[in-house]
Amino acid sequence: MAVTVTPSEFHFVKFDHADAVRVVEELLGRLGMAARDVTINIDETTPLGRSEIKGTDPITIAVESGAFENPKVLRTLLADNVANVTGRLLLRVRDRESGAFDDAPADSALTLPQLVAWEVYSNGRLGRMGYPMQRQRWLYHFRNRHGFTDAADAAFERLWETDDLSWSEISTIIATAAPVG
Amino acid sequence: MRRFFPVQDLARDVRFTRASMAELQNDPRSTRRRSADAPARSNRLSPARPDATDSARRLMHGIFVGEVQALEGAGRTCWDFTTGDDAPLALKLDMARQAWDEARHVEISCKLGEWMGTEIGEYIENTVLFEAACSSDPVLRLAGVNRALEGLAIDVFTTMKEFGELAGDPYLAFCEDWMLADEVTHVKMGSDWLRRLTENDPERRAQALEFQSVVDKLFSYGGTRSESNESFVGLARRFRELAGFTPEEIDEVAALSLDSLNEAVANRAALHARTVDALAEDVH
Repeated sequence: MAVTVTPSEFHFVKFDHADAVRVVEELLGRLGMAARDVTINIDETTPLGRSEIKGTDPITIAVESGAFENPKVLRTLLADNVANVTGRLLLRVRDRESGAFDDAPADSALTLPQLVAWEVYSNGRLGRMGYPMQRQRWLYHFRNRHGFTDAADAAFERLWETDDLSWSEISTIIATAAPVG
Repeated sequence: MRRFFPVQDLARDVRFTRASMAELQNDPRSTRRRSADAPARSNRLSPARPDATDSARRLMHGIFVGEVQALEGAGRTCWDFTTGDDAPLALKLDMARQAWDEARHVEISCKLGEWMGTEIGEYIENTVLFEAACSSDPVLRLAGVNRALEGLAIDVFTTMKEFGELAGDPYLAFCEDWMLADEVTHVKMGSDWLRRLTENDPERRAQALEFQSVVDKLFSYGGTRSESNESFVGLARRFRELAGFTPEEIDEVAALSLDSLNEAVANRAALHARTVDALAEDVH
Protein backbone atom coordinates (compact mmCIF):
# COMPACT_ATOMS: atom_id res chain seq x y z
CA MET A 1 0.00 0.00 0.00
CA ALA A 2 1.30 3.48 -0.86
CA VAL A 3 -0.55 6.61 0.12
CA THR A 4 0.53 9.81 -1.58
CA VAL A 5 -0.88 13.17 -0.59
CA THR A 6 -0.01 16.21 -2.67
CA PRO A 7 1.25 18.84 -2.18
CA SER A 8 3.79 17.53 0.32
CA GLU A 9 4.06 21.00 1.81
CA PHE A 10 1.14 23.39 2.14
CA HIS A 11 1.31 27.17 1.62
CA PHE A 12 -2.31 28.35 1.48
CA VAL A 13 -3.42 26.18 4.39
CA LYS A 14 -1.74 24.83 7.51
CA PHE A 15 -2.61 21.15 6.96
CA ASP A 16 -0.61 18.43 8.69
CA HIS A 17 0.59 16.29 5.79
CA ALA A 18 1.61 13.32 7.96
CA ASP A 19 -1.77 13.34 9.68
CA ALA A 20 -3.61 13.15 6.34
CA VAL A 21 -1.44 10.22 5.19
CA ARG A 22 -1.94 8.41 8.51
CA VAL A 23 -5.73 8.74 8.38
CA VAL A 24 -5.94 7.41 4.80
CA GLU A 25 -3.61 4.48 5.57
CA GLU A 26 -5.73 3.51 8.56
CA LEU A 27 -8.89 3.85 6.51
CA LEU A 28 -7.57 1.56 3.75
CA GLY A 29 -6.79 -1.10 6.33
CA ARG A 30 -10.21 -0.91 7.93
CA LEU A 31 -12.00 -1.02 4.56
CA GLY A 32 -10.08 -4.13 3.51
CA MET A 33 -8.31 -2.18 0.78
CA ALA A 34 -4.82 -2.28 2.28
CA ALA A 35 -3.24 -3.53 -0.93
CA ARG A 36 -4.38 -0.48 -2.93
CA ASP A 37 -2.28 2.53 -3.82
CA VAL A 38 -3.99 5.87 -3.27
CA THR A 39 -3.08 9.37 -4.36
CA ILE A 40 -4.93 12.35 -2.95
CA ASN A 41 -4.44 15.68 -4.67
CA ILE A 42 -5.52 18.59 -2.50
CA ASP A 43 -6.31 21.92 -4.15
CA GLU A 44 -5.25 24.24 -1.37
CA THR A 45 -6.00 27.41 -3.33
CA THR A 46 -9.74 27.20 -2.70
CA PRO A 47 -11.70 26.86 0.55
CA LEU A 48 -14.53 25.05 -1.25
CA GLY A 49 -15.16 21.41 -0.39
CA ARG A 50 -15.69 19.42 -3.58
CA SER A 51 -14.17 15.95 -3.89
CA GLU A 52 -14.11 13.40 -6.70
CA ILE A 53 -12.58 10.14 -7.86
CA LYS A 54 -10.26 10.79 -10.80
CA GLY A 55 -9.02 7.23 -11.33
CA THR A 56 -9.11 3.77 -9.79
CA ASP A 57 -5.74 2.20 -10.66
CA PRO A 58 -4.15 3.65 -8.64
CA ILE A 59 -7.06 5.22 -6.81
CA THR A 60 -6.72 8.95 -7.42
CA ILE A 61 -8.84 11.44 -5.54
CA ALA A 62 -9.05 15.21 -6.03
CA VAL A 63 -10.30 17.33 -3.13
CA GLU A 64 -10.60 21.02 -2.44
CA SER A 65 -9.10 22.11 0.88
CA GLY A 66 -12.46 22.92 2.47
CA ALA A 67 -13.36 19.22 2.38
CA PHE A 68 -10.62 18.39 4.89
CA GLU A 69 -10.72 21.66 6.85
CA ASN A 70 -11.57 22.07 10.51
CA PRO A 71 -14.57 24.44 10.49
CA LYS A 72 -13.64 25.62 13.99
CA VAL A 73 -10.02 26.53 13.18
CA LEU A 74 -9.47 28.28 9.88
CA ARG A 75 -7.10 26.60 7.40
CA THR A 76 -6.23 23.60 9.61
CA LEU A 77 -6.87 19.91 8.95
CA LEU A 78 -9.58 17.92 10.72
CA ALA A 79 -8.74 14.21 10.70
CA ASP A 80 -12.43 13.25 10.99
CA ASN A 81 -13.16 15.12 7.77
CA VAL A 82 -10.30 13.35 5.99
CA ALA A 83 -11.73 10.02 7.13
CA ASN A 84 -15.33 10.88 6.22
CA VAL A 85 -14.67 12.36 2.78
CA THR A 86 -12.03 9.83 1.74
CA GLY A 87 -13.99 6.99 3.32
CA ARG A 88 -17.08 7.74 1.23
CA LEU A 89 -15.04 7.86 -1.97
CA LEU A 90 -13.14 4.67 -1.19
CA LEU A 91 -16.39 2.87 -0.39
CA ARG A 92 -17.76 4.00 -3.74
CA VAL A 93 -14.70 2.48 -5.46
CA ARG A 94 -15.13 -0.73 -3.43
CA ASP A 95 -18.86 -0.88 -4.20
CA ARG A 96 -18.25 -0.50 -7.93
CA GLU A 97 -15.61 -3.24 -7.88
CA SER A 98 -17.94 -5.61 -6.00
CA GLY A 99 -20.06 -6.28 -9.10
CA ALA A 100 -23.23 -5.22 -7.28
CA PHE A 101 -22.99 -1.72 -8.74
CA ASP A 102 -22.31 -2.56 -12.38
CA ASP A 103 -25.60 -0.95 -13.36
CA ALA A 104 -24.86 2.30 -11.50
CA PRO A 105 -24.32 5.37 -13.67
CA ALA A 106 -20.78 6.71 -13.98
CA ASP A 107 -19.89 9.25 -11.27
CA SER A 108 -20.30 12.12 -13.73
CA ALA A 109 -23.80 10.89 -14.64
CA LEU A 110 -25.09 10.45 -11.09
CA THR A 111 -27.91 12.84 -10.25
CA LEU A 112 -27.72 14.74 -6.95
CA PRO A 113 -30.48 12.59 -5.38
CA GLN A 114 -28.66 9.39 -6.46
CA LEU A 115 -25.31 10.66 -5.21
CA VAL A 116 -26.70 11.72 -1.84
CA ALA A 117 -28.43 8.32 -1.43
CA TRP A 118 -25.13 6.51 -2.11
CA GLU A 119 -23.31 8.83 0.31
CA VAL A 120 -25.91 8.14 3.00
CA TYR A 121 -25.39 4.39 2.47
CA SER A 122 -21.61 4.90 2.79
CA ASN A 123 -21.84 7.13 5.85
CA GLY A 124 -23.99 4.63 7.71
CA ARG A 125 -21.32 2.00 7.14
CA LEU A 126 -18.48 4.32 8.16
CA GLY A 127 -20.41 5.22 11.31
CA ARG A 128 -20.73 1.54 12.26
CA MET A 129 -16.95 1.23 11.80
CA GLY A 130 -16.55 3.82 14.53
CA TYR A 131 -15.93 6.96 12.50
CA PRO A 132 -17.77 9.99 13.96
CA MET A 133 -20.83 10.71 11.83
CA GLN A 134 -23.38 13.54 11.90
CA ARG A 135 -26.55 11.53 11.28
CA GLN A 136 -28.93 14.52 11.45
CA ARG A 137 -26.79 16.47 8.98
CA TRP A 138 -27.05 13.63 6.47
CA LEU A 139 -30.76 13.24 7.09
CA TYR A 140 -31.09 16.93 6.22
CA HIS A 141 -29.03 16.42 3.05
CA PHE A 142 -31.26 13.50 2.11
CA ARG A 143 -34.49 15.40 2.80
CA ASN A 144 -33.28 18.26 0.61
CA ARG A 145 -32.80 15.86 -2.29
CA HIS A 146 -35.68 13.42 -1.70
CA GLY A 147 -38.32 15.51 0.00
CA PHE A 148 -39.34 16.45 3.52
CA THR A 149 -41.69 13.48 3.88
CA ASP A 150 -42.13 10.38 6.04
CA ALA A 151 -41.43 8.25 2.96
CA ALA A 152 -38.09 10.00 2.43
CA ASP A 153 -37.20 9.54 6.11
CA ALA A 154 -38.00 5.82 5.90
CA ALA A 155 -35.81 5.51 2.79
CA PHE A 156 -32.99 7.29 4.60
CA GLU A 157 -33.31 4.90 7.52
CA ARG A 158 -32.93 1.84 5.29
CA LEU A 159 -29.90 3.27 3.48
CA TRP A 160 -28.22 4.35 6.73
CA GLU A 161 -28.80 1.09 8.60
CA THR A 162 -27.95 -1.48 5.91
CA ASP A 163 -24.54 -2.97 5.11
CA ASP A 164 -24.86 -4.92 1.88
CA LEU A 165 -27.00 -3.14 -0.67
CA SER A 166 -26.66 -3.33 -4.44
CA TRP A 167 -27.27 -0.40 -6.80
CA SER A 168 -30.64 -1.81 -7.86
CA GLU A 169 -31.66 -2.07 -4.19
CA ILE A 170 -30.59 1.53 -3.58
CA SER A 171 -32.58 2.57 -6.65
CA THR A 172 -35.64 0.73 -5.34
CA ILE A 173 -35.30 2.37 -1.92
CA ILE A 174 -35.02 5.89 -3.29
CA ALA A 175 -37.96 5.28 -5.62
CA THR A 176 -40.10 4.92 -2.50
CA ALA A 177 -39.25 8.52 -1.58
CA ALA A 178 -40.26 11.49 -3.70
CA PRO A 179 -37.12 12.72 -5.47
CA VAL A 180 -36.59 16.45 -5.65
CA GLY A 181 -34.74 18.23 -8.49
CA MET B 1 -22.92 45.99 36.31
CA ARG B 2 -20.22 47.42 34.10
CA ARG B 3 -20.94 49.65 31.12
CA PHE B 4 -19.42 49.51 27.62
CA PHE B 5 -18.48 45.87 27.52
CA PRO B 6 -15.42 44.98 25.36
CA VAL B 7 -15.90 42.32 22.70
CA GLN B 8 -13.13 40.08 24.02
CA ASP B 9 -15.00 39.71 27.32
CA LEU B 10 -18.20 38.33 25.82
CA ALA B 11 -19.18 35.16 27.69
CA ARG B 12 -19.00 31.98 25.63
CA ASP B 13 -18.59 28.35 26.66
CA VAL B 14 -15.95 25.93 25.38
CA ARG B 15 -17.96 25.01 22.29
CA PHE B 16 -17.29 28.39 20.68
CA THR B 17 -14.17 29.51 18.80
CA ARG B 18 -13.63 32.98 17.39
CA ALA B 19 -11.80 34.42 14.41
CA SER B 20 -11.07 38.08 13.89
CA MET B 21 -12.03 39.93 10.74
CA ALA B 22 -8.30 40.20 9.91
CA GLU B 23 -7.86 36.41 10.08
CA LEU B 24 -10.84 35.88 7.78
CA GLN B 25 -9.66 38.49 5.31
CA ASN B 26 -6.10 37.16 5.30
CA ASP B 27 -7.11 33.73 4.07
CA PRO B 28 -5.30 33.63 0.68
CA ARG B 29 -7.67 31.00 -0.69
CA SER B 30 -10.41 32.19 -2.95
CA THR B 31 -13.80 31.02 -4.19
CA ARG B 32 -14.06 33.98 -6.48
CA ARG B 33 -12.67 34.89 -9.86
CA ARG B 34 -9.04 35.79 -9.62
CA SER B 35 -9.18 38.95 -11.71
CA ALA B 36 -11.65 41.56 -12.84
CA ASP B 37 -11.31 40.16 -16.41
CA ALA B 38 -12.29 36.61 -15.48
CA PRO B 39 -15.92 35.67 -16.11
CA ALA B 40 -18.24 36.11 -13.14
CA ARG B 41 -20.21 33.09 -11.93
CA SER B 42 -23.18 32.69 -9.64
CA ASN B 43 -22.39 32.04 -5.98
CA ARG B 44 -25.95 32.63 -4.79
CA LEU B 45 -27.29 30.12 -2.25
CA SER B 46 -29.67 27.82 -4.10
CA PRO B 47 -30.76 24.16 -3.72
CA ALA B 48 -29.32 23.43 -7.17
CA ARG B 49 -25.80 23.73 -5.77
CA PRO B 50 -24.31 20.34 -4.78
CA ASP B 51 -23.04 21.96 -1.56
CA ALA B 52 -26.36 23.71 -0.88
CA THR B 53 -27.26 22.07 2.41
CA ASP B 54 -23.83 22.47 4.00
CA SER B 55 -23.71 26.10 2.82
CA ALA B 56 -27.15 26.68 4.35
CA ARG B 57 -26.04 25.01 7.59
CA ARG B 58 -22.99 27.25 7.80
CA LEU B 59 -25.09 30.36 7.10
CA MET B 60 -27.62 29.25 9.72
CA HIS B 61 -24.84 28.98 12.29
CA GLY B 62 -23.69 32.47 11.31
CA ILE B 63 -27.25 33.69 11.88
CA PHE B 64 -27.32 31.98 15.28
CA VAL B 65 -24.12 33.66 16.57
CA GLY B 66 -25.33 36.92 14.98
CA GLU B 67 -28.54 36.70 17.00
CA VAL B 68 -26.58 36.08 20.20
CA GLN B 69 -24.50 39.20 19.52
CA ALA B 70 -27.55 41.25 18.49
CA LEU B 71 -29.17 40.32 21.82
CA GLU B 72 -26.03 41.37 23.64
CA GLY B 73 -25.85 44.63 21.66
CA ALA B 74 -29.48 45.65 22.20
CA GLY B 75 -29.20 44.77 25.88
CA ARG B 76 -26.06 46.89 26.22
CA THR B 77 -27.81 49.89 24.63
CA CYS B 78 -30.51 49.66 27.33
CA TRP B 79 -27.85 49.74 30.03
CA ASP B 80 -24.82 51.68 28.74
CA PHE B 81 -26.50 55.10 28.48
CA THR B 82 -28.15 57.27 31.10
CA THR B 83 -31.82 57.80 30.37
CA GLY B 84 -32.28 61.34 29.08
CA ASP B 85 -31.80 63.34 25.92
CA ASP B 86 -29.22 60.99 24.36
CA ALA B 87 -31.16 57.85 25.17
CA PRO B 88 -34.82 58.58 25.89
CA LEU B 89 -36.80 56.02 27.85
CA ALA B 90 -38.88 55.22 24.76
CA LEU B 91 -35.69 54.34 22.86
CA LYS B 92 -34.61 52.05 25.67
CA LEU B 93 -38.02 50.39 25.64
CA ASP B 94 -37.59 49.73 21.92
CA MET B 95 -34.14 48.27 22.57
CA ALA B 96 -35.60 46.10 25.36
CA ARG B 97 -38.25 44.85 22.96
CA GLN B 98 -35.51 44.15 20.42
CA ALA B 99 -33.50 42.22 23.02
CA TRP B 100 -36.61 40.11 23.66
CA ASP B 101 -37.01 39.49 19.90
CA GLU B 102 -33.33 38.56 19.56
CA ALA B 103 -33.58 36.13 22.47
CA ARG B 104 -36.46 34.44 20.68
CA HIS B 105 -34.40 34.40 17.46
CA VAL B 106 -31.52 32.74 19.32
CA GLU B 107 -33.86 29.96 20.42
CA ILE B 108 -35.34 29.59 16.93
CA SER B 109 -31.87 29.54 15.37
CA CYS B 110 -30.72 26.88 17.83
CA LYS B 111 -33.65 24.68 16.91
CA LEU B 112 -33.16 25.28 13.19
CA GLY B 113 -29.48 24.40 13.56
CA GLU B 114 -30.44 21.17 15.30
CA TRP B 115 -32.99 20.42 12.55
CA MET B 116 -30.28 20.91 9.93
CA GLY B 117 -27.79 18.74 11.81
CA THR B 118 -25.48 21.48 13.07
CA GLU B 119 -23.91 21.54 16.51
CA ILE B 120 -23.60 24.77 18.47
CA GLY B 121 -20.07 26.07 17.91
CA GLU B 122 -19.48 23.82 14.90
CA TYR B 123 -18.24 26.83 12.94
CA ILE B 124 -16.07 29.81 13.82
CA GLU B 125 -17.79 32.81 15.40
CA ASN B 126 -17.03 36.21 13.89
CA THR B 127 -17.74 38.87 16.52
CA VAL B 128 -17.67 41.87 14.20
CA LEU B 129 -21.41 42.32 14.79
CA PHE B 130 -21.01 43.07 18.49
CA GLU B 131 -18.06 45.33 17.70
CA ALA B 132 -20.45 47.54 15.73
CA ALA B 133 -22.58 47.76 18.87
CA CYS B 134 -19.77 49.17 21.01
CA SER B 135 -19.95 52.85 19.96
CA SER B 136 -20.18 55.37 22.78
CA ASP B 137 -22.88 57.33 20.90
CA PRO B 138 -26.34 55.67 20.90
CA VAL B 139 -27.10 57.26 17.53
CA LEU B 140 -24.07 55.57 16.00
CA ARG B 141 -25.24 52.26 17.46
CA LEU B 142 -28.65 52.76 15.87
CA ALA B 143 -26.99 53.48 12.53
CA GLY B 144 -24.44 50.68 12.77
CA VAL B 145 -26.55 47.98 14.38
CA ASN B 146 -30.19 48.69 13.55
CA ARG B 147 -29.71 50.14 10.09
CA ALA B 148 -26.60 48.42 8.73
CA LEU B 149 -26.58 45.18 10.61
CA GLU B 150 -30.24 44.46 10.91
CA GLY B 151 -30.44 45.58 7.28
CA LEU B 152 -28.02 42.79 6.43
CA ALA B 153 -30.21 40.44 8.49
CA ILE B 154 -33.12 41.34 6.19
CA ASP B 155 -30.99 40.33 3.18
CA VAL B 156 -29.80 37.10 4.82
CA PHE B 157 -33.24 36.03 6.07
CA THR B 158 -34.76 36.71 2.66
CA THR B 159 -32.10 34.50 1.04
CA MET B 160 -32.64 31.72 3.61
CA LYS B 161 -36.42 31.96 3.34
CA GLU B 162 -36.20 31.61 -0.45
CA PHE B 163 -33.82 28.67 -0.06
CA GLY B 164 -36.25 26.96 2.35
CA GLU B 165 -39.16 27.51 -0.04
CA LEU B 166 -37.26 26.14 -3.05
CA ALA B 167 -35.95 23.15 -1.12
CA GLY B 168 -39.40 22.42 0.31
CA ASP B 169 -38.15 22.72 3.91
CA PRO B 170 -41.32 23.74 5.76
CA TYR B 171 -39.65 24.79 9.02
CA LEU B 172 -36.83 26.82 7.53
CA ALA B 173 -39.06 28.92 5.26
CA PHE B 174 -41.63 29.49 8.02
CA CYS B 175 -39.14 30.46 10.75
CA GLU B 176 -37.11 32.74 8.50
CA ASP B 177 -40.28 34.53 7.41
CA TRP B 178 -41.26 35.26 11.01
CA MET B 179 -37.78 36.40 12.01
CA LEU B 180 -37.65 38.55 8.87
CA ALA B 181 -40.77 40.39 10.04
CA ASP B 182 -39.01 41.24 13.32
CA GLU B 183 -35.89 42.43 11.51
CA VAL B 184 -37.93 44.81 9.37
CA THR B 185 -39.31 46.28 12.63
CA HIS B 186 -35.80 46.59 14.11
CA VAL B 187 -34.52 48.46 11.07
CA LYS B 188 -37.59 50.72 11.11
CA MET B 189 -36.97 51.51 14.79
CA GLY B 190 -33.37 52.40 13.94
CA SER B 191 -34.42 54.61 11.02
CA ASP B 192 -37.08 56.40 13.10
CA TRP B 193 -34.85 56.99 16.13
CA LEU B 194 -31.93 58.09 14.01
CA ARG B 195 -34.09 60.76 12.35
CA ARG B 196 -35.71 61.84 15.61
CA LEU B 197 -32.49 62.11 17.66
CA THR B 198 -30.58 64.02 14.99
CA GLU B 199 -33.45 66.23 13.84
CA ASN B 200 -31.66 69.40 14.95
CA ASP B 201 -28.13 68.12 14.67
CA PRO B 202 -27.16 67.60 11.00
CA GLU B 203 -23.53 67.02 11.89
CA ARG B 204 -24.38 64.13 14.22
CA ARG B 205 -26.72 62.68 11.60
CA ALA B 206 -23.99 62.86 8.95
CA GLN B 207 -21.57 61.19 11.33
CA ALA B 208 -24.08 58.42 12.05
CA LEU B 209 -24.78 57.82 8.36
CA GLU B 210 -21.06 57.71 7.67
CA PHE B 211 -20.66 55.11 10.43
CA GLN B 212 -23.51 53.14 8.88
CA SER B 213 -21.67 53.14 5.54
CA VAL B 214 -18.53 51.84 7.20
CA VAL B 215 -20.46 49.05 8.92
CA ASP B 216 -22.40 48.27 5.73
CA LYS B 217 -19.14 47.90 3.86
CA LEU B 218 -17.61 45.82 6.63
CA PHE B 219 -20.58 43.50 6.59
CA SER B 220 -20.41 43.14 2.85
CA TYR B 221 -16.85 41.90 3.40
CA GLY B 222 -15.59 39.59 0.72
CA GLY B 223 -18.60 40.55 -1.36
CA THR B 224 -20.81 38.16 0.60
CA ARG B 225 -23.88 40.38 0.07
CA SER B 226 -24.63 42.37 -3.06
CA GLU B 227 -26.99 42.49 -6.02
CA SER B 228 -24.43 40.62 -8.12
CA ASN B 229 -25.03 36.88 -8.51
CA GLU B 230 -21.42 36.45 -7.48
CA SER B 231 -22.52 37.20 -3.92
CA PHE B 232 -23.85 34.45 -1.70
CA VAL B 233 -26.64 36.70 -0.34
CA GLY B 234 -28.75 39.14 -2.37
CA LEU B 235 -30.05 42.59 -1.45
CA ALA B 236 -33.72 42.50 -0.36
CA ARG B 237 -34.92 45.83 -1.79
CA ARG B 238 -38.62 45.42 -1.03
CA PHE B 239 -38.15 44.53 2.64
CA ARG B 240 -35.65 47.38 3.02
CA GLU B 241 -38.28 49.77 1.71
CA LEU B 242 -40.72 48.42 4.30
CA ALA B 243 -38.06 49.01 6.93
CA GLY B 244 -37.88 52.71 6.14
CA PHE B 245 -34.97 52.88 3.71
CA THR B 246 -35.49 55.40 0.92
CA PRO B 247 -34.82 54.21 -2.68
CA GLU B 248 -31.70 56.42 -2.69
CA GLU B 249 -30.45 54.82 0.52
CA ILE B 250 -31.00 51.34 -0.93
CA ASP B 251 -29.09 52.35 -4.09
CA GLU B 252 -26.29 53.55 -1.85
CA VAL B 253 -26.09 50.21 0.00
CA ALA B 254 -26.21 48.38 -3.36
CA ALA B 255 -23.33 50.45 -4.75
CA LEU B 256 -21.31 50.06 -1.59
CA SER B 257 -21.84 46.29 -1.57
CA LEU B 258 -20.76 46.03 -5.18
CA ASP B 259 -17.64 48.09 -4.40
CA SER B 260 -16.93 45.71 -1.57
CA LEU B 261 -17.28 42.71 -3.89
CA ASN B 262 -14.91 44.24 -6.44
CA GLU B 263 -12.46 45.21 -3.72
CA ALA B 264 -12.58 41.66 -2.37
CA VAL B 265 -11.85 40.25 -5.83
CA ALA B 266 -8.87 42.59 -6.16
CA ASN B 267 -7.59 41.91 -2.63
CA ARG B 268 -7.91 38.15 -3.01
CA ALA B 269 -6.14 38.28 -6.36
CA ALA B 270 -3.27 40.25 -4.80
CA LEU B 271 -3.04 37.96 -1.78
CA HIS B 272 -3.20 34.90 -4.01
CA ALA B 273 -0.46 36.29 -6.27
CA ARG B 274 1.74 37.10 -3.26
CA THR B 275 1.36 33.53 -1.96
CA VAL B 276 2.16 32.08 -5.39
CA ASP B 277 5.24 34.35 -5.66
CA ALA B 278 6.43 33.32 -2.22
CA LEU B 279 5.93 29.69 -3.21
CA ALA B 280 7.94 30.20 -6.42
CA GLU B 281 10.80 31.81 -4.46
CA ASP B 282 10.84 28.84 -2.11
CA VAL B 283 11.11 26.43 -5.04
CA HIS B 284 14.02 28.28 -6.73
